[in-house]
Amino acid sequence: MIFASPLTWLILLPVLGAIATILAPRPVARWLALLFTAGTFALSLGLFFNIALNGYNFGDLLNPAYATKMPWLDFTAGSVHFKIDYFLGLDGLSLPMVILNALLTVLAIIGGWEKPRVKEYMALILLLEAAVMGVFLAFDLLLFFLFWEGELAPMFILIGVWGSETMKHGMPGRIYSAWKFLLYTFFGSAFMLIGILLLYFSLGGQTADMRFFATHFQHGTVSFLGITMGLQLLTFLLIYLGFAVKIPMFPLHTWLPDAHTDAPTEVSVILAGILLKMGAYGLIRVCLTLLPLGVQQFAGWLAVLAVINIIYGAGICLVQTDMKRLIAYSSVSHMGVVLLGVAAAAAGFGGLAFRTAALTGATIQMFSHGIITGMLFFCVGVIYDHAHTREIAVFGGVAKKMPLLATFFTFAGLASLGLPGLAGFVAEYMTFTSSFPIWTPITVISVFTMILTASYLLWMLKRVFYGPFNTRWQWLPDATIRESIPLYALAAFIVFVGIYPAFLINVITPSLTAIMHTVSLVLH
Amino acid sequence: MPVQSFQPGDLYLLSPELSMALLALLVMVVDLFVKRRIVTVTVALVGLIVPLAFIISLALSLDFSVAHRAFFGMLVVDQYAIFFQIVFLIIGAIMLLASYSYVGKYVRADGEFYTLMLFSLTGAMFMASTTELISIYISLELTSIPLYVMAGLIRTSERSAEAAVKYVLLGAMSSAILLYGFALLYGLTGTTDLMGIATSIKTGFHNGNVMELVADIFIIAGFGFKISAVPFHMWAPDIYEGAPTPATAFFSVASKAAGFAALIRVFMDGGLFQINLLSLVVILNIVAIMTMTLGNFVAAVQTNVKRMMAYSSIAQAGYILVGFTASVASGSSAGNAAVLFFILVYVVTNLGAFSGIIALANATGGERIEDFRGLAKKAPLLSAGTAICLLSLAGIPPTAGFVSKVFIFTAAWGEGQTLLVVVALINSIVSLVYYGRIIKAMYFDAPLKEERLATPIGLSASISLTAAAVIVITFASQVILAIANPAAGSLLAFLLGR
Repeated sequence: MIFASPLTWLILLPVLGAIATILAPRPVARWLALLFTAGTFALSLGLFFNIALNGYNFGDLLNPAYATKMPWLDFTAGSVHFKIDYFLGLDGLSLPMVILNALLTVLAIIGGWEKPRVKEYMALILLLEAAVMGVFLAFDLLLFFLFWEGELAPMFILIGVWGSETMKHGMPGRIYSAWKFLLYTFFGSAFMLIGILLLYFSLGGQTADMRFFATHFQHGTVSFLGITMGLQLLTFLLIYLGFAVKIPMFPLHTWLPDAHTDAPTEVSVILAGILLKMGAYGLIRVCLTLLPLGVQQFAGWLAVLAVINIIYGAGICLVQTDMKRLIAYSSVSHMGVVLLGVAAAAAGFGGLAFRTAALTGATIQMFSHGIITGMLFFCVGVIYDHAHTREIAVFGGVAKKMPLLATFFTFAGLASLGLPGLAGFVAEYMTFTSSFPIWTPITVISVFTMILTASYLLWMLKRVFYGPFNTRWQWLPDATIRESIPLYALAAFIVFVGIYPAFLINVITPSLTAIMHTVSLVLH
Repeated sequence: MPVQSFQPGDLYLLSPELSMALLALLVMVVDLFVKRRIVTVTVALVGLIVPLAFIISLALSLDFSVAHRAFFGMLVVDQYAIFFQIVFLIIGAIMLLASYSYVGKYVRADGEFYTLMLFSLTGAMFMASTTELISIYISLELTSIPLYVMAGLIRTSERSAEAAVKYVLLGAMSSAILLYGFALLYGLTGTTDLMGIATSIKTGFHNGNVMELVADIFIIAGFGFKISAVPFHMWAPDIYEGAPTPATAFFSVASKAAGFAALIRVFMDGGLFQINLLSLVVILNIVAIMTMTLGNFVAAVQTNVKRMMAYSSIAQAGYILVGFTASVASGSSAGNAAVLFFILVYVVTNLGAFSGIIALANATGGERIEDFRGLAKKAPLLSAGTAICLLSLAGIPPTAGFVSKVFIFTAAWGEGQTLLVVVALINSIVSLVYYGRIIKAMYFDAPLKEERLATPIGLSASISLTAAAVIVITFASQVILAIANPAAGSLLAFLLGR
């Protein structure tokens, strides 16, 4: 039965937590939310250790470490057969994402401890966690889409209700940004649904099982208005549009800075740390695995878009005056590295070892960007909660008043710019070195992001924390114990992944090897 | 073939309707002697268990591989009838809960309200189970006449009186049109029995029979009033707006479900789709497209919530017509199975959404969309329940409304009604605008006044129940589909020679 499977509980625990939080009296509610998120995190770690102790085989899409399946919707009319299975699976690609999601949600609950209307806030964060868990666990493509959509509503309300009141285009920023987020995502997912249905019906329309699509590929071409393209390429482009909005890929990234600046701190953490990864995860799990030929035909363009993301995102950071907006744009730049890794993996040439390594780098980047950016957002959140402003220019030398926070912020900044020994370095170094033989000129340009990243982060740190002390901030208190818990936790993860990345690499390798195996089989 | 004599066992087959009518009488008598609303409602609510028990007993004890007919073939008990009767009982139970406080506050005639509602439900149950034109017509009147009175129950309000008069006049006209269609059918086939009509059309008529097509059109028009399909919808917004809010809620589900129950029964059991199929499908296509499009686009510009819900219910009727058209066009049951599922979900969600509107009208007397501002802060549970129901009406996953739309669209696509599916999809996107507007007002906008609203227990119960049902149905959809499939199949049983 599905309830015997831990995967069901990964989704069900947060849902139950949300219900418990809403029903409980106010003083207990926060503790219940913490309890349920901590339980989910413990469960995800438990799954990891269970696999690690039993032979360290994290499996791939076709042989997942855990899986559970039950028929759900099944409706036949004439020749059309509509079928969605409740099919969850956990493999090496999804496990890091699941742990990341569980971890950041626990920290978000701690970070949002003092929010107004805290019950609703925590319940929505828990619902969001459940939906995102579903995205990372679904092995049925239509179920995947349902979870993908399920994440929208809580996020929309979280930004729209608890966001900032700064006026934007004649309405409160929270409402403007919530709608912008909703419309962009909806736009992408409408095309994604068409793409998924196209894939489903062009391959028989009997099952939406990803494992079926991973062994049966689309063939042939379609002609429309005089343009002929491969069916797989068309399906890929439709589905990828949904992921591209989420990643976010230039030129579909403009919702991100708005959503980040107006969202409350913890929501920004989840948005940057987890929701952007949904797009990248989808790109690898759905596009690269199920539509390798389509990705390969687009790989050149993907690499070009990746370098635009990397350089343009970093460049635009240099001119930001708002700390949170700066970090939001740095996400655009860092997610470009993931795109570059995937573009290298999908290229139709180059050594398989290099391409696998590039994909591994991209996957590690997903994880490390999640923890690093999460930490950066937490740091900005602490400053904002005390000083009520995020303008870089108004600060100066506040390290005197906030030594602990300044240390953490500098640490996170160094991790983000790729200091060796920290998580960011591993991911970016792997991706750049492995994609160099494949997309040489593009990688050469991309590497300059290292300089840009160092400039905008260090320059921001200098203007905020160092330099002459602005006496206006004489009263500023340092981060409290509660505020620094997430920072300690994330710092520990960053150091651990940076020093011993093999730990993470061993988890994802079986999945990625299997993906690259099918990719190379199909392409040659 | 019809049984030619009355048998005592027939009473058993009639027991759900019979007990419902008796319950209505009992509530009337109780109200006469005990002048307390709580007693009347409790009697009615507990009393609903009796017809439910009979329905369950019928469902379990009968062997549905043969048709069970009673009263000279006028009444039939098949899965289709049982499905709809359960839907009507659900309507009754939720309505009793949701209307309790409003009726006490605005309607001075509590007992009458509940008695009329139960009589109307008795009629609706008959509409699902009669297979003879005259009895269909009589049960239609039994369903409708209490509705006319309910519309005018706020005796101090001119709007309510206006709504009642309009409803009577337009209802009478639609009945006349329906009767005209029935008369033509009788004239053509020489029988009022649906099976007889089906046989007669099968053997004696050919494509191009204009009289039969005219009869079809009249019947669609007649029922079109009940289900508020465009262009027979003009009554709905005014009457929805003027009538007491619980009565509006009741119109939007009971009248519609009963109308569809009879419409589908007449067309499927009566075999009207056997000839002139092409013209019939074209007509149904036009009606369905107009109903969806007008309903959704006009709903998007309304400022009064009850008017908006009127247009929303018109739009929902359009989606149901899509499934019905698919079944008519192909002579298969898949479309109707989706329709049954859709109607169940629609009934539950619409009642949930209306419970929210009733609660608001109850507390503030307001029924404009602005009155919903900041409701989430004042009444969190109420807003959450209403929001879930509205999302379900819009068809957002993971609510039941999404599943029901998927079924309808799959059925229509599978049976070749591609155009309808495309139009319906575009309409679904439009519908997000106006459902979303209420949710936005509830959650994002600042409240006009800060005080907290106390939701009465009855309304809290109806909202929580419907909202929970909306989620549960999503996961149990396969179970309900397993009931809806044979129910839709039982309609075609006679024609397919079983």
